[in-house]
Amino acid sequence: MADQDPQPQTDYSEDGVDLTLIRWMLSLTPAERLDCLQRHVNAILAIRELNAGE
Amino acid sequence: MPVSDFRALLRALTEGEVEFAIVGGLAAALNGAPMNTFDLDIVVSRSEDNVAKLLRVLDGIDAVYRMQPSRRLKPKPSHLSSPGHHNLITNCGPLDVLGTVGRGLGYEELLPHAIEMEIGNGQRVRVLDLATIIALKEELAGEKDLAVLPILRRTLEQIKRAGG
Repeated sequence: MADQDPQPQTDYSEDGVDLTLIRWMLSLTPAERLDCLQRHVNAILAIRELNAGE
Repeated sequence: MPVSDFRALLRALTEGEVEFAIVGGLAAALNGAPMNTFDLDIVVSRSEDNVAKLLRVLDGIDAVYRMQPSRRLKPKPSHLSSPGHHNLITNCGPLDVLGTVGRGLGYEELLPHAIEMEIGNGQRVRVLDLATIIALKEELAGEKDLAVLPILRRTLEQIKRAGG
């Protein structure tokens, strides 16, 4: 019989944090994390600008 | 308002040989926490030499105080030698220059808790480690700090679980 993982991986922590997102971020290098953050910021600012007149 | 360009800000600081460590939201994200931020927070060495280098860089990126940008108030050596916070807007986006964080921790005190990270094109920067970011936020305990603590704590747990 195969050994069972003593701490099976879950998708969310007890306080509701998405652990899959954390694991994904941790799979990136710091340079890739910076690129990702920069793309998010650019996208959010572009959307805000598009809707600024509304 | 200029768009945040983290790489341009970091490049200017690094090329200007400024001694600094990244703290705040960007430090958390670089450590692997899934968080967004729109400004760059740095703690700087307040030595005379470093303040002079910092002022040259800030001049080059057209930094003025963010509170009343129309008055175009530029930081002076006496400002940057103080332990206070300087919330600036530059032509590469918002930049917060901090003399100290938490209970008066300056660059020299934070240095043992900073990790050097490669952020592309051979550029290396010092980034405050996640355990220290968490400790500072626990100490500050403001609403904004408490709101992000669960994400930071779970990120640190996942790093430890992965053997980091």
